[in-house]
Amino acid sequence: MRRRVMRVGLVCLALIVAAAAGVASHGGGKAAAAPKAAEVSGNITLAGWTSGGSTEGQLLKQTLAGFAKKYPKIKVTYTALDPYQQNMLAKFAARKPADVFYVDSNDFPDWAKQGLLEPLDSYIAKYHFSTKPFFPRLLSAFKYQGKTYGFPKGFSPLSMEINTAMLAKVNGKVPTTWADLRLLAQRMKAAGVPAGGRPICFQPEWARLLAFVYENKGALLNASKTRAVVNSPAVREAVNFYVGMINSGLAGTQQQLGAGWCGEAFGKEKAAITFEGNWIMPFMAEQFPNVKYRVYRMVRNKQRATLSFTVSYSIAKSSKNKAAAWTLLTYLTGKQGMATWTSKGLELPSRKDVKVRVGGRTAYLRDAAVGRPWQFAPGFSKVMTVANNELTAVIEGKQTVNGMLAKIQEAANDALR
Amino acid sequence: MAVAAGTRRQAKTLGGAKLREALVGYAFVILPLGFFFLFFIFPIVYAFYISRYEWGVLGKIESVGFQNYRDLYHDDLFRKALHNTLVYTAVVVPGQMALGLLAAVVVNQKIRGRPFFRAAFYFPSLASSAAITAIFIYLLNADGLVNKLLDRHQPFFADSDTALPSIMGLNVWTTSGTIMLFYLAALQSIPTDVYEAAAIDAAGPWRTFRKITFPLLKPAHFFVAVVSIIGCLKVFDQNYIVSGGTGGPNYSTLSVVLYMYRTAISDLEWGYAATIGVVLFLVIFVFTLVQRLLFGRAEVS
Repeated sequence: MRRRVMRVGLVCLALIVAAAAGVASHGGGKAAAAPKAAEVSGNITLAGWTSGGSTEGQLLKQTLAGFAKKYPKIKVTYTALDPYQQNMLAKFAARKPADVFYVDSNDFPDWAKQGLLEPLDSYIAKYHFSTKPFFPRLLSAFKYQGKTYGFPKGFSPLSMEINTAMLAKVNGKVPTTWADLRLLAQRMKAAGVPAGGRPICFQPEWARLLAFVYENKGALLNASKTRAVVNSPAVREAVNFYVGMINSGLAGTQQQLGAGWCGEAFGKEKAAITFEGNWIMPFMAEQFPNVKYRVYRMVRNKQRATLSFTVSYSIAKSSKNKAAAWTLLTYLTGKQGMATWTSKGLELPSRKDVKVRVGGRTAYLRDAAVGRPWQFAPGFSKVMTVANNELTAVIEGKQTVNGMLAKIQEAANDALR
Repeated sequence: MAVAAGTRRQAKTLGGAKLREALVGYAFVILPLGFFFLFFIFPIVYAFYISRYEWGVLGKIESVGFQNYRDLYHDDLFRKALHNTLVYTAVVVPGQMALGLLAAVVVNQKIRGRPFFRAAFYFPSLASSAAITAIFIYLLNADGLVNKLLDRHQPFFADSDTALPSIMGLNVWTTSGTIMLFYLAALQSIPTDVYEAAAIDAAGPWRTFRKITFPLLKPAHFFVAVVSIIGCLKVFDQNYIVSGGTGGPNYSTLSVVLYMYRTAISDLEWGYAATIGVVLFLVIFVFTLVQRLLFGRAEVS
């Protein structure tokens, strides 16, 4: 009897101590973000589209080596999937997805809605994981109906890349507004710069156009993502600017410039100016090391804005070892893991407490503050099929801007219903 | 009694022999038949079952009856996809058959280097469609070889007027090799005495072809037309690669299968995608049936 009382007492004491420790750690900021190394073990799988042989793959390997050192009892197996989306869906349907995996912000609303992802809120509370260091806009890209389903592993915003030799050739100044951009392009066109190309490369898709729409205070959806607001004067003006630049020959699409994407057209010097993310930097270094260029902030119109592309690490709802998965997730998106992952600047850190250690990224970092994630709502893949096809029709003169916006508005409202 | 018993026994053994023969027969086909049911019949039936639900990655969401079919009937994108697919089929099937027949007739002549030409004409059918499409993307690029030759600057795959015709041309060329093989086999099965008789009647080569070769190839025409139409209605990979999966520009390369793929993989609407699959199955089935009726009757007469 006494022993039992004692045992109960001990348990109570342990609970009090634990609670106190919890409070202390919560207040003291030295949060135990993950279970202790000794507590979790097992085999877990990680899936992404980063291929093992690439520079990115080397960085991931390095990051995972860091994890293995810290948590020797957890064995992580990484698989690169290509094509990623199809493979992941097949694995989800077979109830055998990886424990931890990449989720593109654009796919996220659908994946969350279909119940493929594990909500992380209870883990955040249990392990006192601080989400404060993440850029709020990037973090919110992985929230669905108030719950968090992933942490951003990094991001890339759209900024403006300019070929410095071509800029010097026309004695031009770096444009900061739409009007400046048009003037500079006109000057280049008059001077025949670039030879056999066009001053600007614009991709005929909403994943670029939308940055200009945001700059003009337009949007596709209202703030609460309940209603389409694309059929508005602000959007019309932005589309007219974008398409007008193409149709007046001041800008060209990558196809008109004989390239697969604008980065390639820029590298081949068929365009002097383009609007891409920092993924263009390793591409240029590898493919076109002799082309001199610099990155500047996006040109602005009514306000500063841009699009950010981000990807999360998330946990599968059907994961069998969620404690280990959470440990891996918080390491990869934690300060240490992200520092390794972003050390070559292929992606920018989505945490404020991780410094960018490579040069030339200032413009991207400054634009990041006004970047909005490339993301809408569940069912928007179909809306984008319509939006992009209509945009090409507008560029060809087979559709009016108003006609396109009405179609997108209708498709978007259908998806929201 | 005894007689009755005897006949019964006889009947039994006779039945037994028949039964045994039947069993042996089934034993031979059971494996292929099993695979056929598992991988063809069952998925078709199951796709129909799925098409009556709102179906997500993890399975059933809710039963919607025939709502998916009603939605499909009013779906603008599906209409565009169906239109593109039918136009594509209407152009590519005759094109393929004509080119295939021409190639077959050519390599059936006693000309020098015949094995080389046979191999050369068949080669595009052997190469992967993805690889050939990738090569054509370069050839038809705004700065590509074709534009250099034409002294123009036309991005063929990025213009909605030329994107689908370019794919048509590409496919007529790549698939004509297979069709040539079918025709070649049929050409060689035409008995030579028919030609000899024609020669005696002083029929020229064109007349011989028109009056003898072409009509005698009727079974081959039927077979090739069926295979070719089915292939065309299922067109996907070239459109997918050329448009980056979007079906653009201006929906011009959106085919039924590409739309089905997008509905399943990008939109995650698996019930609706199954509906598209069922409707496509019915379209192909009806086409084949109509052809069978037309050509089948002709064959008998």
